[in-house]
Amino acid sequence: MMQMIEKTKLQKNAGRVLSFIKNYLVLVSIVSLVMITIIVEPKFLTQPNLINIIRQFGPLAFFSLGMTFVIICGFIDLSIPGIISLVVIVTYSLIEPLGQYAAIAAGILVGIIAGYINSRLIISCGALTNAEALFITFGMSTVYGAIALIIAAGKTGHLSWIEKDTSAFSFIAQGGFGDFLSFSFLLFILCLVILYIFQSKTFLGNTIFLTGGNKTAARLSGINTFKSIQTVFIISGLMSAIGAVVLLSRITTASPVVGRNYDTNAILAVVVGGTRLTGGQGSVLRTVLGVLLITLMSNCLDLLGVSPFMQTMLRGLILVIVIWIDYRNQGGKQ
Amino acid sequence: MAETNSTPIISLKNISKTFPGVRALDDVTIKVMRGNVHGIVGENGAGKSTLMKILSGVYTKDSGTVEFDGEIVEQTTPIQSINRGLSIIYQEFNLVNSMSVGENIFLGRFKEMHGMKGIHAKARELLDSIGCKINTYTMVADLSVSQKQMVEIAKALSYNSKLIIMDEPSSSLTSDELKKLYEIIGYLKNKGISIIYISHKLNEIFDLCDMVTVMRDGHVIDTKPITEMTHEEMITKMVGRSIEKEYPERPRCVGETLLEVRNLNTRKLHDINFKVNRGEILGFVGLVGAGRTEIIRAIYGADKVKGHELFIEGQHKKIKNPIDAISAGIALIPEDRKLQGLILSQSVKTNIVMAIQKKHTKFGFLNKSSEKAIAEKQVASLLIKTPSIKTRVVSLSGGNQQKCVVGRWLETQSKILIMDEPTRGIDVGAKYEIYMLMKEIVEKGASIILISSELPEVLNMSNRVLAICEGRISGEFNPETTSVNAIMEKVLG
Repeated sequence: MMQMIEKTKLQKNAGRVLSFIKNYLVLVSIVSLVMITIIVEPKFLTQPNLINIIRQFGPLAFFSLGMTFVIICGFIDLSIPGIISLVVIVTYSLIEPLGQYAAIAAGILVGIIAGYINSRLIISCGALTNAEALFITFGMSTVYGAIALIIAAGKTGHLSWIEKDTSAFSFIAQGGFGDFLSFSFLLFILCLVILYIFQSKTFLGNTIFLTGGNKTAARLSGINTFKSIQTVFIISGLMSAIGAVVLLSRITTASPVVGRNYDTNAILAVVVGGTRLTGGQGSVLRTVLGVLLITLMSNCLDLLGVSPFMQTMLRGLILVIVIWIDYRNQGGKQ
Repeated sequence: MAETNSTPIISLKNISKTFPGVRALDDVTIKVMRGNVHGIVGENGAGKSTLMKILSGVYTKDSGTVEFDGEIVEQTTPIQSINRGLSIIYQEFNLVNSMSVGENIFLGRFKEMHGMKGIHAKARELLDSIGCKINTYTMVADLSVSQKQMVEIAKALSYNSKLIIMDEPSSSLTSDELKKLYEIIGYLKNKGISIIYISHKLNEIFDLCDMVTVMRDGHVIDTKPITEMTHEEMITKMVGRSIEKEYPERPRCVGETLLEVRNLNTRKLHDINFKVNRGEILGFVGLVGAGRTEIIRAIYGADKVKGHELFIEGQHKKIKNPIDAISAGIALIPEDRKLQGLILSQSVKTNIVMAIQKKHTKFGFLNKSSEKAIAEKQVASLLIKTPSIKTRVVSLSGGNQQKCVVGRWLETQSKILIMDEPTRGIDVGAKYEIYMLMKEIVEKGASIILISSELPEVLNMSNRVLAICEGRISGEFNPETTSVNAIMEKVLG
């Protein structure tokens, strides 16, 4: 009898630890990865490396914030690579005729319009299932990417403005207060705060969760689900455009294929953060954690001397594992 | 009737199963005799589904023994159970919509059946053996609920099942289809196949079963031959208290015309014209697929329909989508609670306030304190059993989930409440509470359109009944003075 009681106690404790790890998987992984790296490679804690991490954090974080809402709404936006490339090329090519500020504004406008077009296509095709919307955005990514290639005539340009003192691009890339509080980092915090308020305090933000949770029930309860869908794709387009401008400022070259692979990385960051691919649940704050994990991971793996190919494989595996664990958790409940 | 053997086909001894925080089954012992139809009744959460899932191998039991067909079964998987001769027909069928009837029956066994020809020939034979005339080449997507059920039964037969468990088989059948099901169960009995029949509907248990087991809160309360059990006794044992009546007294507060629908025509509906009066419960009866749901979906703007005219309190209203309908004072409690009514991943609060959230916003910002107050008010007044308003609605029982949907619409002050199968899959106690709510709603001056496949429900609650047959209104009755047979005649066309 005593043994049985002890056994159940042990099981309970083990269960608690397991459920803690499950619920805070991202935090646990970040902490353990950083610990290992600090022990193996003390270089991790040096200032240049930490600055480097914050820098790497940049563009992906913007893309992932936008992607979060699309995923909460029950969709996936694969058009991000196309939008990024298009925004970079449009901004770059308009610097000469219009000046840098107008060029940046035009680039961001292009992002918003691209997101709007995505949403209209998805709504008007009646493509309300995830798979159909997925392929519409996939197709549009190719279209946007091709427009970028046509405008750039396939060539990569070099951003010459970056050398001027009055360059907005060098301000975005390097300006700010000290090394840690760079302008792009502050811009990211601003976006995060606005989107967080939008997500948790506004009616429109709330309808995104309802639409993602159950489109039919939401519509029958008088929620304008089309408006939610439109909103998430516009946000995704906008965030892709802002991220693209930050990216252009940092790498100072305008390649028409620069956006490649950002879609999978953004999905990875969102899902690793704990936003459910099934829709209806998630948060931009979680995505920040997800982005942090991915950035820290690649930094740590770099320091540990793991090859980039191996890192790509690890990223893919992590995505699969997170989805698998999520599925297991769900299965347990049903 | 075939002779019933005295040996049990399946014998469960002291089965227990605990989920975190819940003792789902406690020391359950049930014996099912060969060739018997054995009924299992109990409210939602009594442990019936858990028991079935243990038998089929979806869950593993914590303790106890299962003896099937003379063999002790230790661990099992769904496929092993089927091959052993135990099939389960769930409420939600396991059929592939995009495949034909024959292919579905022999899913995954094409090789053994020597290809398509063999499949269809054997499927024909099986369907004939239960007296069913469905073409084996028909797509499952084109079948009615009742036909899908027959396909499931044929599938169970194809595995030479000795025991077939039917989980709520009648929940979406019309009374005619139910008769057919009775016949099929008769055939199966004659073949010596045992059946476990799980249902909320006590009449069916009395009609069909030889033995009945009553379960409550994970315990077996009683197992008896049906002949020794009375209706009242069964209800008392199920709910643990006595319920006086199944239905409250019919509300009588019919006033002037509130809603009028003129010239509703679609591909499926023809010349639908009707009126709903203030304070009236208007019942729609008809077979599944007769067009009842289509009519109310058209009124509500859920489907795109053109050409019809809608008058509310004499005023012409244009309703193109649910948003228009809600602002015109119409509310819909849809037939499928989980797929159309609720957002299961969200909280009780969200599910209650979602239809009025917008009204309480300021400059687009949510008013969380008023939302909380509204949700708490509805939880208290509807007696929704939930740990808190932040609990996810998925963890509530069917009756409490339905009350959340009702609460949502009470809050919008709707004038016309459309209830499509409001008590489907809800236990006896909760049903009565829903009926009381309906009474309260009409007594406050709103109207209800009630659609239900349970004829007694419509006849006992409504002030007026419309029979719908093949997309037309085929008759109008006063349920108090018309016989059931007269109504059924019009329903069948």
